[in-house]
Formats: sequence, structure tokens, C-alpha cells
Amino acid sequence: MEEIRQYIPFLVPILIIQLALMIAALADLIRRPRTKGPKWLWAVVIVLVNFIGPILYFVAGREEEIKE
Amino acid sequence: MTAIQVESLTKNYGAVRALDRLNLTVETGVVFGFLGPNGAGKTTAIRILTGLARPTSGRAAVVGVDTAADGRVLSHTIGHLPEEPAFYPWLTPLEFLDYLGRLYGISTAERRARTRELLEQVGLYESRKRRIGGFSRGMRQRLGLAAALIHRPSVLFLDEPVSALDPAGRRDVLELIDNLRGRCTVFMSTHILADVERICDVVGIIHRGRLVVQSPRESLLAHYAAPVFELEAIEGESLSCWADSVREADWVTAVSLESETARVTVKDVNFARRELLTSAVTSNLALTRFEEVKPSLEDVFLRLVKEGVS
Amino acid sequence: MNFLAVLHKEMLEQWRTYKLLIVAAVLVAFGLSSPLLAKFTPEILKAIPDMPPELAAAIPAPTLADAVTQYVKNMSQFGILLALLMAMGMVAQEKERGTAAMMLTRPVSCETFLLAKFTSLALTFAASLILAAVGCWYYTLLLFAALPWGAFLALNGLMLLVFLVYIAVTLLCSTLTRTQTAAGGLAFGALILIAGLGALPRIGDYLPGALFGWGTSLTLGADQSAWPALWVSLGLIAAALLAACLVFRRQEL
Repeated sequence: MEEIRQYIPFLVPILIIQLALMIAALADLIRRPRTKGPKWLWAVVIVLVNFIGPILYFVAGREEEIKE
Repeated sequence: MTAIQVESLTKNYGAVRALDRLNLTVETGVVFGFLGPNGAGKTTAIRILTGLARPTSGRAAVVGVDTAADGRVLSHTIGHLPEEPAFYPWLTPLEFLDYLGRLYGISTAERRARTRELLEQVGLYESRKRRIGGFSRGMRQRLGLAAALIHRPSVLFLDEPVSALDPAGRRDVLELIDNLRGRCTVFMSTHILADVERICDVVGIIHRGRLVVQSPRESLLAHYAAPVFELEAIEGESLSCWADSVREADWVTAVSLESETARVTVKDVNFARRELLTSAVTSNLALTRFEEVKPSLEDVFLRLVKEGVS
Repeated sequence: MNFLAVLHKEMLEQWRTYKLLIVAAVLVAFGLSSPLLAKFTPEILKAIPDMPPELAAAIPAPTLADAVTQYVKNMSQFGILLALLMAMGMVAQEKERGTAAMMLTRPVSCETFLLAKFTSLALTFAASLILAAVGCWYYTLLLFAALPWGAFLALNGLMLLVFLVYIAVTLLCSTLTRTQTAAGGLAFGALILIAGLGALPRIGDYLPGALFGWGTSLTLGADQSAWPALWVSLGLIAAALLAACLVFRRQEL
């Protein structure tokens, strides 16, 4: 385990990328009036599913807004 | 000089014939009202004229350019506002108009001035930096009009330009179109007759893919809108007896009855003005109203479309 | 001249619709984690409590080659997946939305429209891959040893070429179909076909997938060149784009 612990600093940039994705996705979710599927569910997915969550939201969750 | 020339234009969508040997000529500088019920072929005609669809047979030319041939020349000549204009939701109106301006090769300084001028004209200057994605239908329609005008086209195609707008917005946009008169030829499709009556110089009526009639608005009204008199009486029964007797007269074209109102279409207005009332008095009708109704385009339209069916 | 205006709009779209962010984030994350994972895996295996000592001793120490193969494996999988996801809506969505028709009544030719889309995706993937490669190179240096940078650059160039093949093919699918979903399905079918053919012994040498092997061998000092695969890849890109242009010009929007 000691061996592994010394590599932990290497994980920091990867965590930062993950966090950046999550924040970008959440920011978009908050600003968007409507999404495909419930908003709260997307929030849960973005926060809980590492990495894949925000990407899934960007690819499938966003809906173009057209107000009637 | 003709702005739009359509010769025997036919367009089939599978088994459906959207346009059936349509012939049409629009002179330069007029505001042309292209009138017809839903599904008459208005949008199809505009799509062919703007080069978006290809005719099955026949020919269409705008300012001498065949619309099926060179898209590049055509795109500089025409402006097009579709019924539901499409935008990139992630752009702002300012960016969008500027982008279009670049496509037409307009210089940076001129683009800036033109964009501002158009946004002010359509009342979107306040929203110029908002993303289009959040715009209402009315705002999209106004922006679509600005986008259609960015390169000062010589022929402008408008497909139902005001049907998405509220009354105030409708008045503004019609005024805008009215102001284009003389600067460019406007080809405007609509099913709202009041709008045509307000701004169009020439009216063409299309039904089931064919042109039923084309004529200057005034002469259309004068020629086709037969004068109508309306009589309203208290006792419906004696009114219907009177209607039957009048129907026989040779100066009357038609009589229609609707509960206590009779609508009489006549051949000779001057004669009818005197004779109609006399005959009503003779029949001892208890009149509550006697009126000479100004013919509206709606009457003409309904009549022509009905004739077109038979 | 119009091409630059359209390209500028496409790049703005890549940025505002988060496509650039997604591609960069995924590729960079895998670029960094690949050498890390190569280093980790034996350590993790050794840390399993009930591992018999003789078995633990048999686990080979991680090498530079492990780092490179891990990098190529991850990049090929996720790069191709991203190429498909990012390109599938490019044309179909514009058709659905009506913007494709709007653009074509403007002075924009079908070729400009499609080539600008291809170029914008190529730039997005190239930029992301450069970032990922720099990250991978640096992590590999810290954890293992320095990679020969010239050969490593060639590896990334070859990978980019494979991504471009899938981008071009997906753009063609997107042009053929009316909806994004249909385009995605069709492109996935094409992907399976190309990958399946690539797994066959003789034919595989001529398909884009062989470029990954070439790049890996280059980086590790051998040179198992796959020139035929390179030419086939370039040919596929040109053919897919040409076909897309021809189809698109004939379509009524």
C-alpha cells in the first residue's frame, strides 16, 4: 500500500478534470429551463456517476429550448 | 421587368400533387399576396422559388435566374423567411446576423451598422446579446425577418410572416413589410385576408396547387366582390317568404338566409338600392336593419375557392 | 473565403455545446491515467491480501511497453466512441432543426457546409490529442522513462488519422439519415463492420485499425509499418466525404 500512496499526487490532475466536467454540466443544467427527463435525476447522475455522468448529460440530456 | 416567373410548375410528393401546372408572374417592386387555404401549395411554391425543392416539371425563375440551377447567384438575390425560421440556439442575434453578413461578403464596418439597424427595426436590439435558444416564437419570427433582409435582397419571400405574432407584433411587422415597398419585391404567402388587404398591391389566389386568380387588389375587389345587401327583420317567417319572391327577380344574383338576416347579392347596385327597400316595404317586413355591405377580400376568396372546387 | 466564416461558426459551436470540453476532458484524462494504470496494476495485484507469495513474485514488474499499450488501448476505444458521438448529430441535427435548409439558401455550398464540419471536428480532436499526448508523455517520464518524442508524435498522428476515418464515416451516416439517433445507429453498424473486418488476419493489415499497431511498434523501437492501412485510411476519409457531398447535394431539405 505504501507503494501506491506515493502515486496519489498523480491523481490530482485527473480529479480536477473530473470536477471541471461536473461543474460545467451542473452550471448548464441550472441555466437550462428544460431537459430530457427530470432535472433532479440529471443532477444526481452528474454528481454521482464519475466522469460518465456529465458526459452522458451533455450528449443526451440537453434539450433545445423553444418557448411557445 | 418581371421579378418572379413561374411556368407550368408541377410538384409531386409521392402520389400527392402539391402544385399542378402553376403559372404566375410577379412584377418588380410590388408586394404580392399569395393567398390560399392551408395545404393549397403555398409553401411548396416558395420552397421551389427559393431553390430548396426541385420541381417535378415546369420552370421557375427569380429575376431571370432559374431556381433549380445556380444556388449561389440565387442566394444573393433572394431573402427567405420560412414559416418557422430556424436558428442556432447557442448564438445571439448579434452573432447570427454578423455571421450571415460575413457569408455575403459584407465588410466588417457595414455589417456592424446593418446588424444594428435591422435589430432596431424588428425591435430586438435590447435582446441582441441573449442566446436565441430562449426566444419566443414571435421573437424568432422578427429575427427571421431581419436575417432575410441582411443582404438587401431584391426579392423577398415570406411564408406566413405574421401568423405566429400577437396583434401588436403583427401590426409592427406588416408596417415593416409595407416600408419595403419600392425597395424590393415582396412575395408573401398567407391565409389571413386582413393582412393582404392591408399591404398587398397584387393578390394571387392558389387552390389545390393551381392559381385561381391573379389581379391587383383593387380590381379584384371591384371585379369579383359583388355588392351585397343585408336585411334584418323581426319576423323570420315573412322574411323567408320575401326572400323567395326576391330570388326570382332578374337583378338579383343570390339570396341567402340565416335566421333573421337575409344576404342579397345583386347585379346592379344603383337599381338595388332603390328597389330592394321598396319591395321590402311592399311585403310588409318589420325591418330592423338595412345595409349595403362593403365587399371584403374574404368574400371574394371564399367565392373563388368555392368556384375552384366545382 | 466563406469556408473560414463557416468554420469559425462550427468552432464556436464546438465550444458552446461543450463538445470541445468533452473530447479534451476524456482524452486528457485517459492520457494521464494510462501510464498510471500501467504502473498501478501490478501493485494492486500484489496488495490483494490472500495472494500466495510465489504468485505475487511471478507478477512481472511494469514496463514502458505496458504504459504505451495501455495508452493506445484506451485512446483507440474512447477516441473512436467520441468520434461517433460527436459527429453523429452534425448534419442530421441541422436537418431536424431546419438550419441546414436555411444555410443552403445562403451563399454556402454543400461542400463548404460538410467540409467545415469535418475540419472543426478534426481540429477539436487534434487539439485534445495533443494535450492528452503531452500529459501521457510527462506521466510516463515521471513513472517510467522518457519516450522517444518523435516516434510518440507519429503514434498520435496515426491515431488521429484513425479518428478522422470514423469522423468522416459518421458524417456520411449523419448525411444519409434524418435523425441523430438513426445516424448514430448506422455509424455504429459501420464501426462494427470496420472493426470486424480489421480482426480478420489478412484483410486487417489494410484497415485503419492496423495503424494503432504500427504506432505502438514505432514508439517501442520496432517498425512494423502498415503503409497500406495508411493509404486505405486516407482513401476512406476522402471517399466518405465525397459520398456525403454527393448525397447532400441531392437531398431536398
